[in-house]
Amino acid sequence: MNPITPIINGMKITLKHMFMKPVTLQYPDERPKVAERFRGLHALKVSHSKAKCVACYLCPTVCPAKCITVEAGEDANHDKYATVYEIDMLRCIFCGYCVEACPVDALKMTGEFELANYSRQDFIYSKERLLEKQ
Amino acid sequence: MVNLTIDDKQVTVPRTATIYEAAKLNGINIPILCHDKKLKPFGACRMCLVEVEQMKGRQIPACTTPVTEGMIIRTSTPDIIKARKMVLELLLLNHPLDCPVCDKSGDCDLQNLTYEYQVNSNRFTDEKFHHEIDYNNPLIERDMNRCVLCGKCARVCDEIVSYGALTFIDRGIETKIGCEFDDALNCEFCGSCIAVCPVGSLLARPFKHKARWWAMTKQKSVCGYCGTGCNLTLGVKDNKVLTTIYDEDQGFHKGQLCVRGRFGYQFINSDKRLTKPLVKKNGVLTESTWDEALEIVAGRLKVGSSVAALATPRLTNEELSLFRTMLLENVGTKNFDHAAGYAHSALTEGFAGSFGATASSANILDIQKSDFLLVIKTDAYETHPVVGFEVNMAVKNKGVRLSILSDKRGKLSKLPDAKTLVHMPGSEVAVLNAIAKIIIDEKLVDASAASIAGYAEFEKALSAFSAEAIAAQVGIVASDIKKLASEYAAAEKALIIFPTGQAYTGHNADLANAVANLAILTGKYGKEGCGVLCLSEKNNSQGAVDMGFYAQDGGLNSLQILDACAAGTVKTLFIAGENPLVSYPDRNRVKAALDAVEFLIVSELFLTETAATADVVLPVCSYAEKDGTFTSTDRRVQYIKPAIRKNVQIKTDFEIFSDLISRLGGQAPLRPAAQFEKIASNTPGYFGMSHITLQKDGAFAPVKITPAFVTPHALATVAPETGKLALVTGSALYHSGSLSQYGEGPMHVCPEGYIELSRSDASANKIAENDMITVSSATGSMQLKAKVSLRMPAGVVFAPYHFSTAPINTIWSGAPVTMVTLVK
Repeated sequence: MNPITPIINGMKITLKHMFMKPVTLQYPDERPKVAERFRGLHALKVSHSKAKCVACYLCPTVCPAKCITVEAGEDANHDKYATVYEIDMLRCIFCGYCVEACPVDALKMTGEFELANYSRQDFIYSKERLLEKQ
Repeated sequence: MVNLTIDDKQVTVPRTATIYEAAKLNGINIPILCHDKKLKPFGACRMCLVEVEQMKGRQIPACTTPVTEGMIIRTSTPDIIKARKMVLELLLLNHPLDCPVCDKSGDCDLQNLTYEYQVNSNRFTDEKFHHEIDYNNPLIERDMNRCVLCGKCARVCDEIVSYGALTFIDRGIETKIGCEFDDALNCEFCGSCIAVCPVGSLLARPFKHKARWWAMTKQKSVCGYCGTGCNLTLGVKDNKVLTTIYDEDQGFHKGQLCVRGRFGYQFINSDKRLTKPLVKKNGVLTESTWDEALEIVAGRLKVGSSVAALATPRLTNEELSLFRTMLLENVGTKNFDHAAGYAHSALTEGFAGSFGATASSANILDIQKSDFLLVIKTDAYETHPVVGFEVNMAVKNKGVRLSILSDKRGKLSKLPDAKTLVHMPGSEVAVLNAIAKIIIDEKLVDASAASIAGYAEFEKALSAFSAEAIAAQVGIVASDIKKLASEYAAAEKALIIFPTGQAYTGHNADLANAVANLAILTGKYGKEGCGVLCLSEKNNSQGAVDMGFYAQDGGLNSLQILDACAAGTVKTLFIAGENPLVSYPDRNRVKAALDAVEFLIVSELFLTETAATADVVLPVCSYAEKDGTFTSTDRRVQYIKPAIRKNVQIKTDFEIFSDLISRLGGQAPLRPAAQFEKIASNTPGYFGMSHITLQKDGAFAPVKITPAFVTPHALATVAPETGKLALVTGSALYHSGSLSQYGEGPMHVCPEGYIELSRSDASANKIAENDMITVSSATGSMQLKAKVSLRMPAGVVFAPYHFSTAPINTIWSGAPVTMVTLVK
């Protein structure tokens, strides 16, 4: 074979790709389009300006990674609510069982996937951080 | 026995069984909501429907139908399953279905059955109930919207607790469980109703929303309050005791508990618990290390003879026996005691003389097997409520006759046909001796009695106790005493029960001898349903006696130790868990002793009043954090294992004593099990026991009785003084010792000291309920809240002794009866 042929073939492919649409994303300048059923960061749904969660403990019970901590309390109307609701994102495997188990549809998983952080403590999402942004 | 067929299985069951019980005995499960082992059949829920071939395929309730010979029963035909589903649908029709927020979820019979029978939809529609929920009660929350009307709460309150706080009110569709006039719940707060409730209608408020049932580990233990020795199941999560869980198969009492056992557990995880050793430096208790603290203590103990020790009978047998060994062998002192020195005298002096054994001749199981019960002081119910339940059941279910000899009326007096002889305070021994005299005079004496040691002297000494003379002295009618005597003597089986404790100074050796004399005289001991049962106050009071942890062979007793401290002959005092400043009589005497003693060592859970005056305070473990054995009042030895891990900073008393023994140059056993081997080898009745054999149900340590009559001596009576009232001390139903002050449950319902007086005394002194009144005696005066009650006779007032905030020992110096004046 002519020793120059492979080089020309290679250059052809390179030239062809110069005019094709790129497959990579220029993250973070470009953002991916997250699928509707993507399982990202959890959010506690809000209704009547408070969390819908009634602290039934089914999500920590079903969680295979044991990453959810709930503590229940009684509010002024004697209703049960979560005084503590924490998810340890370092342990979470994003299986979505918690959402499935929830009897009052208080939990969902958002498209939020940028969960990097600087310290381990920052990966423990407290109730305030998990509340759905209105 | 009856033979029958259940689901094609041939079974043989007792004649008295119902179909439900027969099936259960043979491992066939019939679903039910309204049944409890202890309660009578009721047939409310209709879940237990079965088909009996002889009854032409009709569906009949298994729980109320007795078995008959040759019955052929089917428990789960398609028709029955259909019917049960229908029952569930109807129950769920009005049920709020708020399982996510209901604390019963996971342990709920209705939820479990709904799941089992897959009742996913409901063919019917109806409005839910809108009953008001009672959130105000500090211990029992009532949500009647969830109720399935099984009636278990009302029945347990009536049949066992005999209080009758709850009942069905209204009729038809409106029917619900409520109190009289639909009022607030104000009862004994034993929580039995919560325990038996199959749904979330009755819930323990202190446990509200604390944890899910399935997230807790269930740890079996033995209650750490009174001497009954009830078994507990503690609900533990994250190393915290969160609640007590009902188990109808547990213990002689079948899971039945009193307010202290059920709601008084919070002291285990209290924030007030001591976590570090404290050493007094420049007059202030400062945190220290174990090494430093124990080195100081060991240094002081080396002195030997000037050392004395007091221990609480809440320690385990292993700890008490190791403490005793340390004091005798490594320290070299005989001066040690427990329970103020007199609270155990009924056993150590009384029964020791009468029965030749330092234990009761009967056990708690004898109560229901007896024919006649004589209870000395109605307080037996307050000091040992679960024993009281046994009395209730004996009287109400077994037709046992009950007579009470007391200085006041009480709960037990209200039982059907109970006869209460109310005598003047402090004269029970005289009445008992008068009864003995009547028995001899009327020739009701058992044939065996005359040959028993001391009979002649006994008979002679009784001449001073003629019924007429005593009756006039103690304020009862002579004929009543005579009637009681003949009833006691005539009963085939008779049992005498009396409580003891630090507040019952009158319940001493004399009383124990007097009741034992009666039992020996009529031959009512050493047989089933007969004998004498001394209810010792604390969970291991009997164990402390069995371990020999009391003044013997010339050692000083508790009160002598305190006097010796004040006199300077005892220089180092080691108090393991006692709080004499609150619970011993005569506060001034105790205070003087603790101030005078050169060096005071206290091992405690909390910084009590006594611990605050100490030179070294050692933080120790509660019963839920250690292993060992407790001996109940009827000598049932029970093993406890740690329910939770202890804080690494604290030690058990056992570890402290072992450490001190090695610092003092001795050889200490490393584990309580090893110490128990020693106990088993040298304690009468404990032979052959070990931690392993005791693990399941515990075992009775048999009591060997050698009867002897103890001659009664003339007794000083307290003369009534005009314008003064007779104060008797005792236990409140909600408390036990001073420990229950740290259990939140008891403090919700009985938070402070009080003085209980009769209506006539209240009106004579113009005192109304809840008035603060100044109570003065010869030794001091104090403010107490007035409680006007129907049960007190005129001229007698009662005050409980448990409270640090109202220490009754400021006015009570240890006499069974103290004369006091009340000023508003």
